[in-house]
Amino acid sequence: MSTSLLVTKMKEYAQSIGEEAEIWAVGQDKAKEDMRKADAVLIGPQMSFLKSELQKEADQYNIRVEVIDMMAYGMADGKKAYEQALSLMVNQ
Amino acid sequence: MEQVKITNLTDEQISFQLILHSGNARSCIIQSLRAYKEGNKDEADALIAKAEQDLSAAHDIHFQMIQKESGGEATAFSLLLMHAEDHLMSTLSMKELVKEMLDLFKTKNI
Repeated sequence: MSTSLLVTKMKEYAQSIGEEAEIWAVGQDKAKEDMRKADAVLIGPQMSFLKSELQKEADQYNIRVEVIDMMAYGMADGKKAYEQALSLMVNQ
Repeated sequence: MEQVKITNLTDEQISFQLILHSGNARSCIIQSLRAYKEGNKDEADALIAKAEQDLSAAHDIHFQMIQKESGGEATAFSLLLMHAEDHLMSTLSMKELVKEMLDLFKTKNI
């Protein structure tokens, strides 16, 4: 639920700078299924223990999985989280 | 861990801080059990200690909220805040339980 609020803020930021991005939040169970449609995967701090498991799955789609930056999460900073997602795509 | 002053934060950010620290702790607790399972007992202890640091940061924020309210400044309720409280409480229970479990395993030499 908190993650979906951050997603709303990320979407608002993307829109404010005129970028078209599809950002969505899913629960743990759906993450593996949905990641095939994604260019990058960010996970909440409460799920960071799943990072290596999810990265293994993401390897087959050649995308990166990262835990949302602590400052971005703690301050509900959509801009920072959005920029983090973009950086994951650049370093592919 | 750096102390957060809630007076500098919006209600939403306060909830996110609670979820962040509870969430970090939750991950450490699960990793602790996994480390123990793989035979890394010291790492398991270190991860519980790390979880306790995060929980103490969350607890500190919570304490400031209660102080603020007892000072006559009511906290606005929201589903997000309830969700944050839920994260904190469930992680606190989880930590107590896992700590006891690790202690039990050690005593029984598992």
